[in-house]
Amino acid sequence: MRAIPLGKPSAIAIAAISLIGIFSFLWPFVAPADSFLVVNSTETPLLFALIIPLLLVTVISQISDGGLDAKAIALLGALAAVIAVLRPLGAGLGGIEPIWVILILAGRALGPGFGFLLGSISLLASAMFTGGVGPWLPFQMLAAAWVGLGAGLLPKASGKRELMVLSTYAAIACIAFGFIMNLWFWPFSTNLPEQIAFSPGANAGENLLAWIRFSLTTSLGFDLPRAALTVILIALIGSPVLQLLRRASRKAAFDAPTEFIEVH
Amino acid sequence: MTPRWLHPGAWWLWSLCLAAAASQTTNPLLLSLLICAAVIVVAARKPDAPWGKSFEFFLFLGAMIITIRVLFQIVFGASLGTTVLFELPGLSFPEWMSGLQLGGSVTLEALLGAFYDGLRLATIAIVIGAANSLASPTRLLKAVPTALYELGVSIVVALTFVPQLTTDAGRIREMRRLRGRSSQGIKGFASLGLPVLAGALDRSIILAESMDSRGYGRHQKETTWGRRLSISLVLASLSLALIGVYSLLTAGTSAVVALLIVFAGLLLGGVTMWRAGRTRVRTVYRPDIWTLPEWLVSIAGVAVLGIFLTARISSDQALILRPELSAWPSLPLWGLLAFGIACTPAISAPHPPAFDIDTNEPFSSEAFR
Amino acid sequence: MICFEQVTFRYSEDGPTVLRDLNLEIPAGELVLLLGATGSGKTTFLRAINGLVPHFTGGHLTGNISVNGRSTRVNHPRELADLVGFVPQDPVSGFVTDLVEDELAYSMECLGIDPPVMRRRVEEILDLLGLTELRNRPLHTLSGGQQQRVAIGSVLTAQPEVLVLDEPTSALDPGAAEEVLAALHRLVHDLGVTVVLAEHRLERVMQYCDSILLLENGSVQSGSPSELMQTSSIAPPVIHLGRLAGWDPLPISIRDARRVAPPLRALLANHSPRIQAVPTHSPRIAEIRKVQCAFGKKIVLRGVDLDLDAGEITALMGRNGAGKSTLLRTLVGLKDQTKGTIHINGVDPHTLSAKDLLRHVGFVPQEPHDLFESLSVAAECKSSDTDAGCPPGTTRALLALMAPDVQDGTHPRDLSEGQQMLLALCLIVAAKPPLLLLDEPTRGLDYPTKKKLGEVLRGLATSGHSILLATHDVELVAELATRVVIMGDGEIVANGPTQSVVTGSPMFAPQVSKVLAPDHWITVEQIAQALNRELA
Repeated sequence: MRAIPLGKPSAIAIAAISLIGIFSFLWPFVAPADSFLVVNSTETPLLFALIIPLLLVTVISQISDGGLDAKAIALLGALAAVIAVLRPLGAGLGGIEPIWVILILAGRALGPGFGFLLGSISLLASAMFTGGVGPWLPFQMLAAAWVGLGAGLLPKASGKRELMVLSTYAAIACIAFGFIMNLWFWPFSTNLPEQIAFSPGANAGENLLAWIRFSLTTSLGFDLPRAALTVILIALIGSPVLQLLRRASRKAAFDAPTEFIEVH
Repeated sequence: MTPRWLHPGAWWLWSLCLAAAASQTTNPLLLSLLICAAVIVVAARKPDAPWGKSFEFFLFLGAMIITIRVLFQIVFGASLGTTVLFELPGLSFPEWMSGLQLGGSVTLEALLGAFYDGLRLATIAIVIGAANSLASPTRLLKAVPTALYELGVSIVVALTFVPQLTTDAGRIREMRRLRGRSSQGIKGFASLGLPVLAGALDRSIILAESMDSRGYGRHQKETTWGRRLSISLVLASLSLALIGVYSLLTAGTSAVVALLIVFAGLLLGGVTMWRAGRTRVRTVYRPDIWTLPEWLVSIAGVAVLGIFLTARISSDQALILRPELSAWPSLPLWGLLAFGIACTPAISAPHPPAFDIDTNEPFSSEAFR
Repeated sequence: MICFEQVTFRYSEDGPTVLRDLNLEIPAGELVLLLGATGSGKTTFLRAINGLVPHFTGGHLTGNISVNGRSTRVNHPRELADLVGFVPQDPVSGFVTDLVEDELAYSMECLGIDPPVMRRRVEEILDLLGLTELRNRPLHTLSGGQQQRVAIGSVLTAQPEVLVLDEPTSALDPGAAEEVLAALHRLVHDLGVTVVLAEHRLERVMQYCDSILLLENGSVQSGSPSELMQTSSIAPPVIHLGRLAGWDPLPISIRDARRVAPPLRALLANHSPRIQAVPTHSPRIAEIRKVQCAFGKKIVLRGVDLDLDAGEITALMGRNGAGKSTLLRTLVGLKDQTKGTIHINGVDPHTLSAKDLLRHVGFVPQEPHDLFESLSVAAECKSSDTDAGCPPGTTRALLALMAPDVQDGTHPRDLSEGQQMLLALCLIVAAKPPLLLLDEPTRGLDYPTKKKLGEVLRGLATSGHSILLATHDVELVAELATRVVIMGDGEIVANGPTQSVVTGSPMFAPQVSKVLAPDHWITVEQIAQALNRELA
């Protein structure tokens, strides 16, 4: 079931913003030492924090132009609210939030387009609700959108196999999210100890190693529990939540045929 | 001045300018002044609304950032200065992590450096927190461009659903007790979540029906060519931005051309949004106005940023404080001036209107009938 | 104004026909009442008027429906928004924003109306519906009646010529229902709006309507109330009384009925109403002594004394905020009393663990689906057996007895409201709690379902349960309750046999009692028994 149809233009737009997003995360490894981005490495994250949201809204407006009916909007809003309510629950635990299970299952049940929008909109909505708008938000929105999109693109499976596929994906996605989110501010933090610091001008391999060390020593402590929690929740309630979501999408009748018959 | 909401855009512009100014310096005195300005303005103009409370969280977040940053420095050992404070037992990681070293001697210089760095991040978080608590999120959504109407509506819907979900959860928790069940632990939490989710999904369908019958999504039909033009514009804008970002990656120190390409892409994106906005039929009820107070607040922000940028361009030494014992932070006159200007919204902005807090009554099922 | 031409509708190609060859026309400026049992196609009919059926729901529609000449065939619901206003059954779920003023303006924002015009219309609607005081209030802090009026106002700002309402008063208490109906009456008379409404609580709306549409199995009959009510199986007590007495033309309102009632009263003068047997010497189930309860500084219960015996059905009445819900919540231990004692079978419910509580006192909430957690009826019953600690299959067997037509695989939330209520009742009754509490059990139920629920409750009382129900439904109380307790401002102001309490009160008297006052008749059944005649 696909609640939000993605036409070719929308798919291309998502691919393009994703590429730009990848650059915005990975520039510390690819940009040469004397490039503009590296020389001004403390401003670069802010530059991307400006570019990404502007492009992201262009993409969203393109997707919504293609077909965001009231049902899709209401479902998006409802699930974004669920995520916004769940997020503060994890705030005291350093981001070990039970939100990923909803995002991943919704992406799975309602399709990649819905997953992409839910990822970005839910983080925006929860940031507005709890007052958490900051330069980190565009990166979070994009990364969460990828998580939702990916869940929608997983291969067909059902029953236990489906839950296995989803758990595996969830584990990978949760850890990857943490690692990727380290990247946007990593070059921004000057004065870090040498082994885990971004060194402008070092080659990609050295920086990559430094980043992995940084992630392993800093965020892994949060990423692993987050992944574990998500996997446990999928095992526990994955199947009923999927059934609820599919029931909702059936009730919303996204693709029920409408026919007018002439009277003879 | 009669109490009214200041245009949220003005608050955000002021706060983002302060954040950008903070990112220009590591001087703890200048950073502390920026934090003070944010605290003063929030204290003077914070609304009595749910989002108004978020500032305290940001102050806490700032403190956390500094603490974590300093702890890192201690754990990872020092590579700076000579004033050893104390020694930690050293620990070497295996070969595959290329001999990462933990612990060792902790120097005062290294801690100072970590503190300055943490303080800068904390300042950015706190001044942005000021906008979070000063500007009403729902009023910000009213100012959303027409092309993003759908996005705006879905967020409005989400913000409306949130309080309903919390009351639902409270009620269903009680009902679980009546059936002899507990809502503790992961399992209890999960099974409490299911009926709440089921309720939210059911409600969203009714909401969609109501939105549909109230005219949501009315728009003028676009011609095939107009539609094709829109799509090409979106794709062109994204391609330009992509090319621009890519050339930023490879460009030399001067990246004027690459930056220009990126901004051309953004501009084109703006054009597509404007075009998309034209086809949507939609007006705003009681839109926020932009008058003198809005100008004063945003000019204050821009002026502060201007002062910091001027100092940066003229390589003013006061901006950068080296983490050395001999180095004392200096407080230049322009810093005080910037502080004064940053504080002006505490006077120039109008008071927010009194927020109706009838909502804070204790939960009673009678009230929700 | 509204025109159905040879309309037939099915949700799916091979599904049942929901509407069958409808031909009708509703003239402008009428208030039309749509009647029909659950499952008769009422919901579909209402939604077909503005094109939600089939544009929103999907389905196959034959024939043509047009409003003011605009056909739903080519117009989506959103394009008819300035012509047809649709108010869903649960107003809260239909709210898009969270403030009264924003909600009123929402439709106009969608229609792209100029800001100055919007501003003026919002002020007009605030005045028209008496919402001025509430303009800045968050929607979820309003009472049910206020929310319903905001919902009506929010579609009226688009200035539609037709207003379609799905059960606007069935969830409201009598006072709030009056407010809403008075507002609708004003719209029809002052603004000439055409109103189509579906409603179960006929006793409330019958007197306001100009004509009736009666849906049965997808076919429709239309006519004036007194015409159609001669034969309709769905009718308020005053109609049943009129038919029994053979009054012609059939009086629709209490006032008309009183005028023709003297001969009947003379006939009944020698009889006295048979009163429901009140059990004597039955064991005491609950003792409530001097219970006081407060929310912060606000005292909600002030020294309540109440005894409940086995076999009794006690009705708890009173306006909203009088303390009914708080008393029920205190009895199940959800709210602590600040003073006083509660003993249920000798135990204070607050000291009981969740598991033991269910064996002493059961509570059926006004939204029965709050109790549901499983994905199917069968699973729900199974988990209830575990909760109650009774042999597997007990709950399912109970449900089969009460509601034989419920399917095992259905999602509990997809059941009809009556079925949901019966399922919730089964889940609670399975543990055999001696005291059974029900909060507004007849909200949104039609007459047959209400009757069914009444039988079930009476059976439970006979088998030794003591039942306490908080309700606004005076007709239900007249037929079912052995005793009535009326609360006001946190105190019990009346407590006695149904007959004597309700006939003495202008607010809680059933229709029959209003027609035959000051005689003490309260149900049509009593009169039929007295006259030895069969109910028509």
